[in-house]
Amino acid sequence: MKIMQKLSESILDKLSIDFLRNQGLKNAYGNDDTVIASLDSRILILWYLFFGVVPWFVNDIPFLLGCFLLVAITTKLARVAGLVLGLFLLGVFTQTGYLLIVTLLFGGDETAIAPLLVLTLKVATVSLASITVFSGLDPDHLANGLMWYGCPEKLSFSISYAYRMLPLLMEEFQSVLLSYRLRGNPPAHDTFLGKIRYLIYQIRVIIHSFYPLMLNTAKRSRTTVEVLEIKGYRYAAVNKEVKKVKLSTMKVTNNDGMFLALSFLWVAVTILISTLV
Amino acid sequence: MNAIEVNHLSFTYPGASRPTLEQVSLEIEKGDFVAIVGNNGCGKSTLCKALNGLIPHFITGEYSGDVWIDGCNTKDTEIGVLAQKVGYVYQDFENQIIRPTVLDDASYACLNYAMKDYKERGMRALEQCGLKNREHDYIWQLSGGQTHLLALAGAVSLQPDILVLDEPIAQLDPEHADRIYQVLKELNEVYGKTILVIEHHTEYIADYCRHVVLMRDGGVAWKLPSKEALQRVEELQKSNVFPPQVTTAAQRLKERGEYDPLQPLPITIQEGMEVFTPRFIRRNQEAAMAHADRAKTENVISLRDVSLSYRSVKGDPRQVFHNLNLRICRGEKIALIGSNGAGKSTLMKMMIGLLHPSSGSIALNGRSIQKKKPEELSGEISMVYQNPEDMFIKDSIEKDISYAMDVRGVADRIERTEELLRRFRLWELRERDGRMLSGGQMRRASLAIGIALNPGILLLDEPTANLDIATRKEIMKTLNEMKAITETVIIATHDMQLVCEWADRIVVLCEGRVVADGSREQIFSNREILERVGIRPPEIFSMGQELDPESHCYTIEEFVCRFEGRRAYENHAEVI
Repeated sequence: MKIMQKLSESILDKLSIDFLRNQGLKNAYGNDDTVIASLDSRILILWYLFFGVVPWFVNDIPFLLGCFLLVAITTKLARVAGLVLGLFLLGVFTQTGYLLIVTLLFGGDETAIAPLLVLTLKVATVSLASITVFSGLDPDHLANGLMWYGCPEKLSFSISYAYRMLPLLMEEFQSVLLSYRLRGNPPAHDTFLGKIRYLIYQIRVIIHSFYPLMLNTAKRSRTTVEVLEIKGYRYAAVNKEVKKVKLSTMKVTNNDGMFLALSFLWVAVTILISTLV
Repeated sequence: MNAIEVNHLSFTYPGASRPTLEQVSLEIEKGDFVAIVGNNGCGKSTLCKALNGLIPHFITGEYSGDVWIDGCNTKDTEIGVLAQKVGYVYQDFENQIIRPTVLDDASYACLNYAMKDYKERGMRALEQCGLKNREHDYIWQLSGGQTHLLALAGAVSLQPDILVLDEPIAQLDPEHADRIYQVLKELNEVYGKTILVIEHHTEYIADYCRHVVLMRDGGVAWKLPSKEALQRVEELQKSNVFPPQVTTAAQRLKERGEYDPLQPLPITIQEGMEVFTPRFIRRNQEAAMAHADRAKTENVISLRDVSLSYRSVKGDPRQVFHNLNLRICRGEKIALIGSNGAGKSTLMKMMIGLLHPSSGSIALNGRSIQKKKPEELSGEISMVYQNPEDMFIKDSIEKDISYAMDVRGVADRIERTEELLRRFRLWELRERDGRMLSGGQMRRASLAIGIALNPGILLLDEPTANLDIATRKEIMKTLNEMKAITETVIIATHDMQLVCEWADRIVVLCEGRVVADGSREQIFSNREILERVGIRPPEIFSMGQELDPESHCYTIEEFVCRFEGRRAYENHAEVI
């Protein structure tokens, strides 16, 4: 009982906004010294195009397994924040994983399991590849890479600006929720029914928080808008020269070549194995 | 040569009934260091926005007259060109930071204007603003003062000749404030920049600025050399600008005929040394006054061996407190002081049960709060945060004040809400959204919300930060009135005038520990502590100490009782 209580307390603690903010920042900027983060973003985007698309069209289990292992390794290398991994596991499980387990438990045979395994592997591989690229790279590198491929400047700016605003929004949200917590009077939640009422109460508070959150953020962003104007954001958006200067920082190094070569080799080996099997 | 020339400038915001700027004419010389002072809403910020072309290019309205910057009329010059002539730092400077890392932000404008050497320019600006070696830091690793320097660096990176700063030190502790002004001084003297500051802190004007511009009702009343300007005590006070305390003290003595009327009023402590002299009578009076008996009552909050650490984005958790011990007795009025980041807000969050210590225990009214949630404690203890906007969760302040009572079904909530609204002079504003109120009204509303449930203990985080001095005085008055309503009050603050005039016990936090705890006499006469923690007593106290180390004058009134004008005293001696 005591363990249970401790567990529920620590889960609640883990899910605080503060924790979310911390994990969000960690995810975006906390891993800028990893192997993945040091790679050129264009190469990584190319790499992602392969591992994010090809698995959908292949049904060969050894190949998928190989890809899955590779992206699992890159995810490990990217030192992705715990929260993102947790969400990934939850996502895969609720998509197909639970079907796989249920089928296994109720004596499903190979013909039932194989397609489910294939689907689970596909989903997992593609998600891990996305996680590697989008959370292993810091937002600015990613934005520059996208811009190189011709994405409009507005998109790449939005990505890096969203990451800049995210902590602010979280902070604002945290303090608004805090006001509700300090002044509100939540229903007692000792009993099961109380717990449900408490949950509904919390959801209502979150919805109500939206109004002050938006107003406060809008008030703060007035200055930001003026500053963007002063700092020449509008000029940069139409000036080709700026884009050139921005992109000139990107460089393909030996490491990038190695990374591509190793990935290629690995895929080649898995294809070889799958033809042998 | 003039860096700035404003000729008959008038500006009306769209929808406003009367112009915010009316026939403003002003000339500012190249290389000058100018302070702009004036009432709230006298058009200071609007004037500054007209200098960098935001008005009329970005903020449109009815515009007439001319502004010449370095020979260019702002009407015909693009914002982009003007940005390279005039740098602007906002009052809410944290919203001015756009990029996640320090160097990125400092060089962002240069990059946008397609300067190939944007990184070098950013680095140079960081160096000029004293942020060298921080270039790879993320912006959330910076303290408030450093963030301000970064906002300044972002403006400096384009190497404009003119820098405009809107209330640069409103949110900073004295140490950081000094740092900002040192940097500005260097930019002015070494790099020849013309600097304009909107400033309420006249002590800083006396120390750093060469000229003062007084604005009144949308126009420029006068522009004078600082020394002359700050002597116009009555005129300044009429515009809610408060001259340095030494100047005001001298003016009081002058009014009483105890100050040589031919002698100019002092504006700094150094000048004060020349003109004040101790009186011989009433020597021990204040000592007796100071030791007001502090009867020990029972503890309402006690923290025993409390330690706490924070998760950080990178690396090990940061330890905020290590074995902190503190007891707070019923009825005490406590000021919690310490530099930015000493853990004042964190300590308050622990007291209301929002953060639980990693070791040690906290008891509220004799019961441990380790297992309690903040909502269970809200009837006993309440907190008003630094940023009043965050207290507003409803669309009118009336609903905001009554919210906590409504959800608890308090019987006389309607009467009590009305009483609170009237007591805090908010009755006429009750239907308004809290966010739309002025600074002082917002603070009053947040205080009313804080005491709605009639808690025995009230925690206030920086209640006077970001307010101009007139509003600050008003809030101080409100806080004094509140002494009668709420038993135990703790205020975290940098505002030493508030500490001196309001608190009867001072707790000094430094590096996660209580390093001093006592009456204002004990704290302010302990030079070692003051220096270590970076506390600056009110100017009038320092003035008194310089003249006579035995003196403890916390207010101008006390000072005037203790000292008099030198000349007047000599005359007096001759008569005897």
